[in-house]
Amino acid sequence: MLSHVAKISRRRFALLAGTAGVVPLPAAGAEPLTAEAAVRRIQNELGGDWPAAGPDGFKAGDPTTVVKGIVTTAMASLDVLKQAVRANANLVITYEPTFYGRADGRAPAVPAGGRGPGGFGADDPVVKAKREFIEKNGLAIFRLRDHWQARKENDMVSGLAGALGWSNRRVKSDDAFYDIPAASAEETVTLIRSKLGLRGGLRAVGDKNATVRRVLLHPGSMTPATMWQRYSEVDMIIAGEVREWENTHYAADIFTAGEKRVLVTIGRVVSEEPGMRACAEWLKTVLKEVPSTWIGAGDPYWRPTT
Amino acid sequence: MTGREVVNLIQKNVGVPWNERSYRDTFKLGNPDSTVKGIATTVMTTFDMLKRAHGAGLNMVISHEDTFWNDRDDTKDLTANPLYKLKTEYVLKNDMMVWRIHDHMHAMKPDFTVVASLRSVGVKGGESAVMAPRIYTIPETTLGEFAAQVKRGTGSRAFRCVGDPKARVSKILLGPGYATPRMTAEADVVIGGEQQEADGGFDDVEYVLDATSLGMPKGLIMLGHVISEQPGMQDLANWMRTFIHDIPIQFVPAEEPFW
Repeated sequence: MLSHVAKISRRRFALLAGTAGVVPLPAAGAEPLTAEAAVRRIQNELGGDWPAAGPDGFKAGDPTTVVKGIVTTAMASLDVLKQAVRANANLVITYEPTFYGRADGRAPAVPAGGRGPGGFGADDPVVKAKREFIEKNGLAIFRLRDHWQARKENDMVSGLAGALGWSNRRVKSDDAFYDIPAASAEETVTLIRSKLGLRGGLRAVGDKNATVRRVLLHPGSMTPATMWQRYSEVDMIIAGEVREWENTHYAADIFTAGEKRVLVTIGRVVSEEPGMRACAEWLKTVLKEVPSTWIGAGDPYWRPTT
Repeated sequence: MTGREVVNLIQKNVGVPWNERSYRDTFKLGNPDSTVKGIATTVMTTFDMLKRAHGAGLNMVISHEDTFWNDRDDTKDLTANPLYKLKTEYVLKNDMMVWRIHDHMHAMKPDFTVVASLRSVGVKGGESAVMAPRIYTIPETTLGEFAAQVKRGTGSRAFRCVGDPKARVSKILLGPGYATPRMTAEADVVIGGEQQEADGGFDDVEYVLDATSLGMPKGLIMLGHVISEQPGMQDLANWMRTFIHDIPIQFVPAEEPFW
């Protein structure tokens, strides 16, 4: 707790000092926790630089809002925000953007070659409706990506392993290899679908009949260079997403070459959900005075059945 | 005729100024001065596709996408990679060559990738479509019924949809490959090949989820890169036959990679 104390205001310090040895409770007269104070505590705890131009920061709402409860999520979709309101939470910590792109409602539209203007403007009806919902319900939205994934414990990987039931199967603490109970690739894919509650988002490339023992977990996007380096070290890669003309193409060629491996993509957001669930657990230790819960955005995809 | 001469003929007929600075539209592998016995057009130079082209006696592959698993076909980090060696040796041993046509296909009028993708999903009126997306109107249907029509038309196993299957839709906005368009106020359904799921230029997945949550009838159909741009390579083969008569030209599909 000393590290927080050192960085909070003198007034707050005096309040805390006056209750030394007592569990800090939101007692009458204590300064209420605002969203910006909560974020400062998170920033102090995680350390590092927090440049204004980086992805992490407030994206919507009033930072002076008094926090009733915190929700973490991989993606602050409107459905997640609705659930947060129902859960009486008003500070939402999201790993991915809120406003449909890297600019996250901040920058003007940027042209993207051949694809029309980038981002969605302030006049867009969905952007407007989402902003109105946030305002009406007094929510504050903070994006926490870079600093959460940079944390040395990297719960993005261990969280995903936990969700798949493989927590005690990690090969080395500093790598993302897991040695899992041997099963066919097809059986392993069925297990992943069921453990993560997937609908249509999972796609697999490679040898269905491969025996899977060693798995590499890679939440988020995987680059081609990582794929080339690591695919031959494992039986299966489980990633969030890849580019199909790069990594998927590589996995298809490895299959043609006769190697018994499988590349499974489960969806970027789905792959990041368990890590944000872990974030809610961590917040309970950092911000004890308010409840923190995780709300899943879910697998967004379905497939036609006929 | 050599590979280089085939490319010269394409450059003469393509109808747009040739951009010599395109890093994509170049020879990737093999000897451009080898004699062409037959031409295979394909969306992606997969190892499997190369084998089928060779089996059919076609030694020049004209591919829309890359050969070495990265957009620039940069091979400096691959020289010790066993798969790189295997694929390269297969092409060289069989006197094959690979040339890519990507940027110029998307500059052509029409853009065959868009024309054929529209046709494959059953949207009419796209015969002169270009890369810049525009809205096509179909008879009103539900997103679920339209997705089923897309499945029948493309034969895809693994394409993904976002949105309410019961949403009533009629305005379609389609882009090829990675050029999945941004959803607009006017469009009901965006169709593309692939798109970064979040934190990209524009995140259609989250946008369609939120529009759906607001009760707006919006849908997203991600065909997959191969399924999206593959049909255009059949059209490219047909077009090439109008000015190359002495060499067999065949469309050799890359398989949809997903199970």
